[in-house]
Amino acid sequence: MCISNLKKQLSYWGLLLFILSCSERDVEVEEAYSFQQPVHFPAATYTLDNNPVSKKGFLLGKKLFNDPILSRDGSVSCSSCHLQATAFADSRQHPLSIGVDNRKGVRNAPSLANLAFIKEFFWDGGVTHLDFTPLNAIEASFEMDEKVENVIGRLNANEEYQQLFRKAFGIEEVTTPYMLHALSQFMVMMVSDNSRYDQYLLGTGELTPDELHGLELFESKCGACHSGVLQSDFSYRNNGLDENPIDSGRTRITENRSDWGKFRVPSLRNIALTAPYMHDARFETLDEVLIHYREGIQYSETLDPLLEKSLGITMTDEEQEQIIQFLKTLTDRELISDSRFFTTQ
Amino acid sequence: MKLFKQYILLISALALFVACEDGNEETELKSRGSVAIEFDNMVGTSQVNLSDEGSSDYSYTTSGSQPFNLTRVQYYISNIILTGPEVSYEDELNVSANADEVTGYYFIQESDNATKLISLNRVPEGVYTQITFTLGIDESGVQEGAAGGILDPANGAPFWNWNAGYIGMTIEGRTSVLEENAFAIHVGGWKDVVPEDGSAQKFYNNVKTITLNLDVDMKVSETLEPEVHIVTDIQKILGEVDFTVTPQVHSPAVGRTFAENLTGAFVVGHVHQ
Repeated sequence: MCISNLKKQLSYWGLLLFILSCSERDVEVEEAYSFQQPVHFPAATYTLDNNPVSKKGFLLGKKLFNDPILSRDGSVSCSSCHLQATAFADSRQHPLSIGVDNRKGVRNAPSLANLAFIKEFFWDGGVTHLDFTPLNAIEASFEMDEKVENVIGRLNANEEYQQLFRKAFGIEEVTTPYMLHALSQFMVMMVSDNSRYDQYLLGTGELTPDELHGLELFESKCGACHSGVLQSDFSYRNNGLDENPIDSGRTRITENRSDWGKFRVPSLRNIALTAPYMHDARFETLDEVLIHYREGIQYSETLDPLLEKSLGITMTDEEQEQIIQFLKTLTDRELISDSRFFTTQ
Repeated sequence: MKLFKQYILLISALALFVACEDGNEETELKSRGSVAIEFDNMVGTSQVNLSDEGSSDYSYTTSGSQPFNLTRVQYYISNIILTGPEVSYEDELNVSANADEVTGYYFIQESDNATKLISLNRVPEGVYTQITFTLGIDESGVQEGAAGGILDPANGAPFWNWNAGYIGMTIEGRTSVLEENAFAIHVGGWKDVVPEDGSAQKFYNNVKTITLNLDVDMKVSETLEPEVHIVTDIQKILGEVDFTVTPQVHSPAVGRTFAENLTGAFVVGHVHQ
């Protein structure tokens, strides 16, 4: 396209923008805060019809997410353990979540990216709707250690929150479902769909030969569990960390011994940002994770059958390196630099 | 301004259209009446009288002769259906963050008499012989997400955070056979998962649907407002309970025995015509 043609185009668009009425510009802004289904992702599971995302709802959710008002002593917010810089997982400095009174949690806080597309939440899948997930963090004694009715009481006593809830939902009194809806609006927008891997899938970017080879190896050696565009079949498996797993894992939810020590196969989106790894944060690097799968699998009764054969996954050092090269293409720089999620408003 | 006029035109056209729709609906439907459903909580033949927390008066005894009292009895009733030979009525179920829009779910609390009376309005005129209801909150109530009113945990809705879902039936009290005295039976769980490999069942759906014959032809019309008295027998729910074995029930698998008892614990006491 020649320069003059481009200029003509630009002035045309400029004129159009100028003509656009105020309300239409508001619509554009509103669109930046509405949920967009990525074309290459599974359909969103979140009940968006009950709680459509709006700019006001999203911003209120963001304020709540970052506000320690949710915790008993005003010391812990959601963002204490879910940081944008680590794709909304915990920081490397907190292998296990740190709650009120510096209480140590029992599991590593996972990334919140792409929760709009999954059906079960937490490492053990005990919660089946995104709306209900914050109740665990609020009421767990080693996290925020607060009763939800006290949180609602504080929000109602706070004029700014009253006003924000009124504007976002048209309500005069703050109640639990609206607080949970605001938080869900903020969380479902944490869509990570623009990694170099996504660009490769959509034909708008390329992977290096090593990364491509890594992808092939990943699919053949890891893809039985880490399947699909989100690298998970979302099943619960024991991946051979211990001979005698301490954490009962999925058994706590199903009350079934055959699930002892099983945890959800996590999505590997942004995995290079979310160290340390595993439910108990025992591995600090991706190399350690892959060495575990190569050489460290421990047999126990509930060990996944896919890992039982020859107790692990065979690969060469070079293959390990290429798989890691591929895993790094799952990092979504756009998500961690998206200003909509910045804490300063 | 021109745009504004167009809007006005559009809205009035819409209003006209909606009005027509409404009119059609009204003429199609029979006239409607109300039905009241009242729940009476009993232990065998005795009325439930709640004791204060900490009370050591034990007014009731289990089938295994363990003395106990009750400090809390509460349960969810939903999905009420009335059926007759020619008509039927299904109470509309709706889950919403807006408490006023939550319909079809009822939270019966022994401590609050007003909650024990459910009024169904807009029941089509006719003769009814059967009532069906759900004890608990089933999948459709849980999986719509956060809800208000009687489903709001901050408002006293009994909810399990760790294995998300509502507690359908709560029976709490004290017994002399336990050193700590307090017992709590919480029946929840809303899904059945049977593993394909034939191993033991994971998850139990403890939400029960209960159908009762009214034993009379209950007539509903604009002028007749019948009242159905349903008796809930806590003794039957407790069944063969041994408080020394199950003083605390807080999970679907353990609550299952009590859930199985629910179906036989409700009877229609009488119908006031």
